[in-house]
Amino acid sequence: MKAWEVEDLHVNYGKKQVLWDVSFSVPPGVMVAIVGPNGAGKSTLLKTALGLVEPLSGKIDLLGQPVKKVKQKIAYVPQRESVDWDFPITALELILMGRYGRLGLLGRLRQADREAALRSLELVGMGDFAHTQIGQLSGGQQQRLFIARALVQGGSLFFLDEPFAGVDLATEKSIVSLLQAQKEEGKTIFSVHHDLPTVEEYFDWVILLNTRLIACGPVKQVFTAENLALTFGKSQELFDEAASLSAKSISGIV
Amino acid sequence: MSLIDFFIDPVLRGPTWGTLFMCIASGLIGSVLLLRKKTLLAESLSHAAYPGVILGVSLFALAFPAHEEWAFVSVLAGASFSAFLALKGIEWLMRRKVSPDAALCFILAVFFGAGIVAASSMQSQLPSWHQKTQMLLFGQAATMTGIHVALYGGLALSIALFFLLMYRPLQSVLFDRDFSSLLGLNVKWLERLIFCLLLASLIVGIRSVGVILMSGMIIAPAVAARQFTHHLHRMFFLASFFGALSGLLGNFLSIWGSMYLSTETERMTLPTGPSIVLVGSCFAFLSLLFAPQRGLVSRLFRIGAFRLRRLEENILKYFWKKGTLSRKILHETLHVPMWALFLVLRRLKKQGWIEGAYSLTPDGMKRAASIVRLHRLWELYLTEQLKLETGKVHKTAEEMEHILTPDLEERLTHLLGAPTQDPHQQPIPEKSRFP
Repeated sequence: MKAWEVEDLHVNYGKKQVLWDVSFSVPPGVMVAIVGPNGAGKSTLLKTALGLVEPLSGKIDLLGQPVKKVKQKIAYVPQRESVDWDFPITALELILMGRYGRLGLLGRLRQADREAALRSLELVGMGDFAHTQIGQLSGGQQQRLFIARALVQGGSLFFLDEPFAGVDLATEKSIVSLLQAQKEEGKTIFSVHHDLPTVEEYFDWVILLNTRLIACGPVKQVFTAENLALTFGKSQELFDEAASLSAKSISGIV
Repeated sequence: MSLIDFFIDPVLRGPTWGTLFMCIASGLIGSVLLLRKKTLLAESLSHAAYPGVILGVSLFALAFPAHEEWAFVSVLAGASFSAFLALKGIEWLMRRKVSPDAALCFILAVFFGAGIVAASSMQSQLPSWHQKTQMLLFGQAATMTGIHVALYGGLALSIALFFLLMYRPLQSVLFDRDFSSLLGLNVKWLERLIFCLLLASLIVGIRSVGVILMSGMIIAPAVAARQFTHHLHRMFFLASFFGALSGLLGNFLSIWGSMYLSTETERMTLPTGPSIVLVGSCFAFLSLLFAPQRGLVSRLFRIGAFRLRRLEENILKYFWKKGTLSRKILHETLHVPMWALFLVLRRLKKQGWIEGAYSLTPDGMKRAASIVRLHRLWELYLTEQLKLETGKVHKTAEEMEHILTPDLEERLTHLLGAPTQDPHQQPIPEKSRFP
């Protein structure tokens, strides 16, 4: 069984093509970097897999099933800027949200949920901040909270959207070792990643993406200069220009 | 007339209880809108309800001219219908990539304009009914009766119950919508429910506050509540509290004010709806100014305290470098007015950092040395670690010496390997080991 399988995926925002004919599959128990330039559709790929964005066409399976059936097995870390950090909740309350899925709309929190949240807070080194309002924390600490929230979800697939953006090096290292520990337990981790030099150090599998899929496979085989040139290089420009021209013609702008 | 009369007097109790419940409901719903950053939605939807009201009442007047007492049904139905239509219009425009505030304002203007046009044509055709709709512009709380109170009470109760039972899912959806839907929470259903409650509170609120001011009643209690707490449940509680208080005080204001302004020959009335909104806005305004943590005044106070500490530390530093100094010399080097120096020096003396006609006490020596130490450590850090030019580091060190915490100091010391000289070949004072 594959952890994540994508077939002929097309995603548009309005008339703009974001993902174009993407197909790949990833086995379970690996740590995967999703790499590509800005606007390559990395976050969109993640959100489509999680059912947050509707694809134009194509099929996505997680653990061999459509996402609706495996929601309980997914842990998600959105981009840090996607939420309002001035929101009136404490660190502990934020982490407890990881358990709300099990409660449904009317359920109450159990003692076990609270203790799991506190343990997870300790695990990311934030034990002293349980009752701090989230806006008073630093960027790195906020990111640790998101990781802790994903950990109490207890999923077997982790999807992370730029977990290291605006985060200090110490936090980055500790997040990586937490994720690697999860991988050792057989969980699969997907992370949108920006920093090319650390790909080989942190990850063992890579998806290279630039609207099209460039390559998908083990880092040692796929993370080559040639593929990187294809992903980030100038040859892509012509394709982008043609695609944008096509979008404009279809919508009657040109 | 005592305060109790407002709650039990047959004439007064209707408006009192009615507005009380209405304001609790709108305060709670308003908190949700405020946290979702969608407060303008209330403004657009309440204005957009107006043409529906005119249309509903006109149709009702043509169909059942004799049953005036049931006209409120047509008001409710018409208002719901046109507010719902407005929402769909806003969503449609936003899908077309029109920016949210443009879409909201456009819909507000179009709907309200249509309402005004419809109202003026109604004036000539159905003059007595037209009067009924005009009062909905600014509301008319004074004529509320038992049935209104029951209706508003029911609404406030159901909203409060909803917030109580769904507190956690609500919190999750408000904070992080995508994450909540991934958790398997029924986000769409919850949002529809919130919208229905919003619509209900807007429409019943129109009766007492009017379409023009209704959004003020939605937003003001929530803004006030937000200033006082970092906890969502407390914010909900405070918003309903501020709402209820505005309702009550607004009522008092209107009735006492009317009595106070009226003379024997001329009768004046302060309208209830605007009074309530006025009181609510005062709460919001005062909270923005005086709330303990987030308020403007307390922030200014903290800024002042920091500036004072910075000045004190700078003065101590000068004493450390030059020994004894007179107030006049300090005035010339620091460019601080003489009177301010007088006060600061007196404070420093009182606290035991300086003595006599101004030289440092032994305790003052230690404190000053530690400030100089932070200054020079920071300079060294900038030149050695960040490779800045030696001539350019003094200015930022002047700032950072007042900012660095003991924790940061220790990390700096460790990083630089317990240095003894700064980049200008000046000694870095050692950290004193004894108090």
